[in-house]
Amino acid sequence: MPERIQLVVNGEPRTLEVEPRTLLVHALRDGLGLTGAHVGCDTSQCGACTVLVEGRAVKSCTLLALQAEGAEVTTIEGLAPAGELHPVQQAFVEHHGLQCGFCTPGMILTTLDLLSRDPDPDEAAIRHALRGNLCRCTGYQPIVESVRAAAEALS
Amino acid sequence: MTEVIGVPRPRIDAPEKVTGATRYAADGWVHGLLHARLVLSTEAHALIRAIDVEAARAVPGVVAVLTAADLPTATDASDRTAEPLAREEVVFAGQPIAIVVAETEAAAEDGAELVAVELEPLDVVVDVEAAMAPGAPLARRPSEGAGGDLESIHAGVDHGEEDEPAEPLSANVLGRVRRSAGDVAAAFAASAAVVEGTFRTPWVYQAYLEPQTATAWQEPNGTLVVSTSTQGSFVTRSELARAFGLPEDRIRVVAEPLGGAFGGKFALIEPLAAGAALALGRPVRLALTRTEDFLSMNPVSAQVTHLRIGALEDGTLTGLEARMIVDRGANAGWGLEGITSSLVAGPYRWQAHDVVGYGVLTNRFTFGAYRGPGAPAAAFALETLLDELAAALGLDPIELRLRNAVVEGDVAISGTPYATIGAVEVLERIREHPLWAARHELPEGEGVGIAVGHWPGGNEPAAAVCRVDKDGTMTIVTSAVDMSGVSTGFAAIAAATFGLEPEKVRVVLADTASGPYAGASGGSKVTYTVGTAVLRAAAAAREKLLAAASEELEIAPDDLEVVDGVVRAVGAPDRSLTVAEIASKALRFGGRYEPIEGHGGSAQTSGAPSVAAHLAHVRVDRETGEVVVLRHVVAQDVGRALNPALVEGQMRGGVAQGVGWALYEELAHDEHGRLLTTSFMEYAIPNAERVPEIETLIVEVPAPDGPFGAKGIGEAPVVGAPAAIVNAVAAATGARLRELPMTPARVWSALHEQTR
Repeated sequence: MPERIQLVVNGEPRTLEVEPRTLLVHALRDGLGLTGAHVGCDTSQCGACTVLVEGRAVKSCTLLALQAEGAEVTTIEGLAPAGELHPVQQAFVEHHGLQCGFCTPGMILTTLDLLSRDPDPDEAAIRHALRGNLCRCTGYQPIVESVRAAAEALS
Repeated sequence: MTEVIGVPRPRIDAPEKVTGATRYAADGWVHGLLHARLVLSTEAHALIRAIDVEAARAVPGVVAVLTAADLPTATDASDRTAEPLAREEVVFAGQPIAIVVAETEAAAEDGAELVAVELEPLDVVVDVEAAMAPGAPLARRPSEGAGGDLESIHAGVDHGEEDEPAEPLSANVLGRVRRSAGDVAAAFAASAAVVEGTFRTPWVYQAYLEPQTATAWQEPNGTLVVSTSTQGSFVTRSELARAFGLPEDRIRVVAEPLGGAFGGKFALIEPLAAGAALALGRPVRLALTRTEDFLSMNPVSAQVTHLRIGALEDGTLTGLEARMIVDRGANAGWGLEGITSSLVAGPYRWQAHDVVGYGVLTNRFTFGAYRGPGAPAAAFALETLLDELAAALGLDPIELRLRNAVVEGDVAISGTPYATIGAVEVLERIREHPLWAARHELPEGEGVGIAVGHWPGGNEPAAAVCRVDKDGTMTIVTSAVDMSGVSTGFAAIAAATFGLEPEKVRVVLADTASGPYAGASGGSKVTYTVGTAVLRAAAAAREKLLAAASEELEIAPDDLEVVDGVVRAVGAPDRSLTVAEIASKALRFGGRYEPIEGHGGSAQTSGAPSVAAHLAHVRVDRETGEVVVLRHVVAQDVGRALNPALVEGQMRGGVAQGVGWALYEELAHDEHGRLLTTSFMEYAIPNAERVPEIETLIVEVPAPDGPFGAKGIGEAPVVGAPAAIVNAVAAATGARLRELPMTPARVWSALHEQTR
């Protein structure tokens, strides 16, 4: 039986009907059309579905939508007003931190989580923070450089 | 004037990608969309006796359960496109047998679990070498089932001569290629040193982050529309036309932005979605789960290579003898034995060679392409033995390679003369790197290895359209799929050719109903072929611009130049009009000038091979066998770097995949042919902590026929990377591994044997 949940997504209160087994990622994608959270695996390895829940990076395939009841959720679509870029997004653009782009929303949201805890991370800290977000295109180095640049832009 | 060529710029699709605005194949909204889930074979080789779909049909939300008989396929061919669901014989574990279509993905999944398939097991063939022996069980029953047009898209190499086998072989051996010239036995006899070995590489998965996805529906006028994650829209259209017996103009293929592909996205997913949509008359989306993708798609072949090479005292290479066995899986249509048996010679000259390649059927997957298909395995064998040869002769490994590196005009063992190639240049560049000089001063357990990899590139005719709007911006239209950033390269080519700032160029990747022709994206050919068409389209539009400007300014076209969107008299820049002003005069009622548009085509016939040299620096833990790549340097001949940032991105991405080949990645089956590695838990691709800093050295040896000298560069950087890491492990420990990946267990065993 579908159940009704309420949560705050990108600053707006939203009400959704979900089945008990519905994962948060599917509720965001199918229920709210927020397709910037991507489904890349079935086992919580890839991190393409990462969103912020209460400010912390969470793989939205590891959470039932019901578990997010009442939570504040930020997706990649909610980082900056339309037509503008958040400094982390800007850094990924300028430092070539993406190719196919499928992992990119997850990388950016994980970066936000990292920088909220450690505003000045060194390379090892960045690589450690990103180890749960897989990228097959870039070899990671431009992503690491993007995160460093974002840290400097935000400092 | 804005410098365009050679200047790093962000990808033109970057803002959309960092904001989540890009719609990948699973993201679009379609009215009345149904969702599909596959029922996959649990046996590697079997006959389908019965399929009970009743329980699945009873699941609320399930609309239909389709088996092979329900799909409107039109041929008896047994390749994956023509037979998207197994008809009678299942030839690998993971082969799709049925599609459950439902109102939601969850209902489809519930239904799929309830489909009961009765299979009668047949003998399973999992060992590719045993499969070759006379009397071996057959991996599939004999049929006439070749078909499809997918072989030629990957590389511009010939496929050798069909060889009359000297040894008795089973009917599992479907491909035999032999390349020989000169007297190899005499060449070895005259050699100062001869080395040999047997090298094994496993099945490796492309691991694109976006699982394969396609959505299909019929328009009210009957046109089949397929929106899909594919590398090639026109080839997909042709394949669907063949599979379902439809005229090509009744099919429209829309290639959506790709979430990675690397060779793996070619006409496997579309026939499933399209078949279901045609059968049901409703829109159907099939977005594979990662496990479905692992099980049912097309990773690259495992290979076994027996290789023997020799050289004279001074390092001149003499003979090359190879026996290469390629595991095609259940793919009867074609195999990688043609490509890999050509590439095993490397970018080197040989006095004599005798190379035989076999394509052998087993009950593992049906193989597909993966970035430089057949090349990393060939380079692993050759580049390992070159190091051993150098050691046997007391020569520097780079010196040995330099002494034999091909230059333009040398003839490859495929019989094709080399076009311009920077093999010498990349080796000289890597030799100058301080890491090479410092290789003997490293701490215990560390080592530096060198290796070279090359890729011949590919060609296919292509066309492009250039249009200038009243606001002075430009639109480039092609049907290329952007797998690696080619659109950003197109914008640079068009801007530089026309005389416009690159920010004013947008690139539209059109579908098969509206775009000019382009071949599939693969084989490192898009920039070389479609990029040349873009250049010519922009040049044609520029002629229209100058013709109109000439009349307006009353100056001959030859005396005009176009700089940053302004047409002006050479030497008198005050006499000028903007591109926007001229376009506005053309694009209006009663206008006197033709629209500022151009069409360009290309049919490249020259080759543009790319070559990369690598230095890998590793540390090996003798207690655990763990190998860590500390640093990697890659020098690649890229022709001309249109956008160095994107070129470096290709180089680094290729090396990172090479790290996966070298250390981590292996698709493993049990003895019954059932896949053991069905998720990213069991199949590890390198994460951010496993890929080292990768230093890129761009070497520019312009390709005479490439746009601004550019050539295809996507495949070459992966080819030699695993071999460099293998040679680094040898430098660190003395142990030479003959099998990839170099897992801790394999390395530990090699070290243990060494000391025993």
